[in-house]
Amino acid sequence: MSEAINPHGSINVAPRAIATIAYQAAIESYGVVGLASKNLVNGLTQMVIKDPSHGIEVQYQDDQVDIDIYIIVEYGTRIKSVAASVAKTVRYHVEKSLSLPINEVNVHVQGLRFSNQE
Amino acid sequence: MSDSTTALKEAGQRRIRMNRPVNGQMLKRLTEVGLIWLKANQQTVNALNVFPVPDGDTGTNMVLTMQSACDEIANTPERNVGKIAHQIAQGALMGARGNSGVILSQLWRGFARSLDTKETLIAADLVEALNEARDTAYKGVVRPVEGTILTVAKDLAAGCEAALKKSDSLVAILEAGVKAADQSVEHTPELLPVLKEAGVVDAGGKGLFFILEGMLRWINGQPLDGGAAVAQPLAALKLEETLEAIEPGQDWELVIDFRPHQALDLEDFYKNLEEMGTSIQIGEGDGMYRLHIHVPDEKRSQPWDYAMRLGTVTNIAIENLVAQMEEIERKKNGGDLQLMPVEADQIAVVAVAPGPGIARVFASLGVAGLVEGGQTMNPSTQQIIAAFENLPTNKVIVLPNNKNIIMAAEAAAELAVKEVKVIKSCTVPQGLAAMMRLAPDGDLEQVAADMVKAMEDVQTGEITTATRNVTIDGVKVKKGQVIGLHNGNLVLSSPDLEKACLELMEKMSLQDYELLTLFYGADVDKALVNKISDAIRAAYPEQEIEVQEGGQPHYHFICAVE
Repeated sequence: MSEAINPHGSINVAPRAIATIAYQAAIESYGVVGLASKNLVNGLTQMVIKDPSHGIEVQYQDDQVDIDIYIIVEYGTRIKSVAASVAKTVRYHVEKSLSLPINEVNVHVQGLRFSNQE
Repeated sequence: MSDSTTALKEAGQRRIRMNRPVNGQMLKRLTEVGLIWLKANQQTVNALNVFPVPDGDTGTNMVLTMQSACDEIANTPERNVGKIAHQIAQGALMGARGNSGVILSQLWRGFARSLDTKETLIAADLVEALNEARDTAYKGVVRPVEGTILTVAKDLAAGCEAALKKSDSLVAILEAGVKAADQSVEHTPELLPVLKEAGVVDAGGKGLFFILEGMLRWINGQPLDGGAAVAQPLAALKLEETLEAIEPGQDWELVIDFRPHQALDLEDFYKNLEEMGTSIQIGEGDGMYRLHIHVPDEKRSQPWDYAMRLGTVTNIAIENLVAQMEEIERKKNGGDLQLMPVEADQIAVVAVAPGPGIARVFASLGVAGLVEGGQTMNPSTQQIIAAFENLPTNKVIVLPNNKNIIMAAEAAAELAVKEVKVIKSCTVPQGLAAMMRLAPDGDLEQVAADMVKAMEDVQTGEITTATRNVTIDGVKVKKGQVIGLHNGNLVLSSPDLEKACLELMEKMSLQDYELLTLFYGADVDKALVNKISDAIRAAYPEQEIEVQEGGQPHYHFICAVE
């Protein structure tokens, strides 16, 4: 649990809630065409999923939040830039919503999608 | 032939050439001039960022992306427009930086795919290619955000398509496209609230506009080396610094956003403003100006009227400078208290302070923790523990500074795992006297004993108002009367504050001591404080008298006599 003490008590934010914020940020990131579950076998990774808890893992370790995101990227984009901007966007949105520093945002590119046949 | 006529002639030739089908080399040149103009406006685009959103260097990212595209075609003699487009797209892809760079590379990718292997490009091809560019860019994201470069690309394609119905001239279509992109950029704040809040337009969209505008400027023979920007970019305006420079007579701060009907003559503008007020700052961001000025009361509406004559005023913020300054003063006084940092194994002192002024005095004497509290606002045991439990030491001394708080402090000492000593200071002056003996590196028992002893050196006087009728120790008190306490004992009552103070000094035998420190409360008028302290000074010329703001409630004065 991510915890913050205030004068009235404590606030707990569940990993799933953080995952939802990260999910929204990720899919609005340019170049991301979907999130993938990390456990799906190869070939199925291109299945676009709607449940944020599948494509995103949130872990707490001693007050530190780590986020892992599994994405599918549009074919023909510069993957490095897309991944970097996903990491940046997700970190920004989660930190802004939680006022909690994020330790790591790891972006895993699980697959590419062809939108157009060339 | 002069330079300008040569330039004009060349531009004329370009316009003619542009209206013939465009080949690969022409597209190459257009891409290059687009980059040059984008580069000239790089800082403008960078400044548009909504701090602190991600992608905080859009201008630079787009320049690097376009640079990579141009590098790819730098030495190619290729004349096939489709092939050049593919090379540009490839270069943009390889060099794509940041969100807007990636989107830009996708636009080029769609553009190139549409042209495929076409030898040359005519108006209809351009429109089709821009449509394809838009489609490709939109496919790259699950949930496209409107009010970004994507929207501008969409409006650009639509604008060109509409223009194609009227003309098949490439220049005419590009002109329409630049105009559509410009309007689209201006409209982005309506679509994306964060832009509106920050008072900027979308940076990526603006960057795309500059690339297109650069192409058009080159065709028209306009310079590409950037106009002289006299006004600073909006984001670079540092208005918070202006507060420090307030001159007497400035009562209002005005920040006016407006869009002038025609180009501003900045020099003239400045001169007119200088007659109205000071601290003038002017910011400019794509046609919009932000004017900052400090003005006196009687001229408060002048800058507004003036801006309205010049253009459309979009936003005005007015602040009362006098009130603002007072607020800053107040924060300076009560706000950031510098508490003494303690190291492991040192002794930390936590003091209960009834007002901001007293808290400040304790802080200056080196307490490591402060708890707000005093008469009728006793802090809880928990609050006291919270003040020291996170300190990096195990040795703690608590100064309750009120006899009603001693119990809570002792309970805190019992509950805490740290070694806590409570010095039973019943008054603020006792606590302050004890603080004088703090030796952070000493032995806890010894230091505590010293501090207890130090409390004997000080006499405490307190002046407050009686809340009920009472007779104690032979002193008769009526509700609403001013009463004086000497070391916690009721010694006098009086209908008048000044008289009560003087009488209290007498009861405390001030003449036998050296120093009186007078902490005045939150509810005492400063003028009255001065009057009373002057009266005391007159009565006790031998003694040193210090007056401090205590900020405590209920007690008009707390006096320490040493």
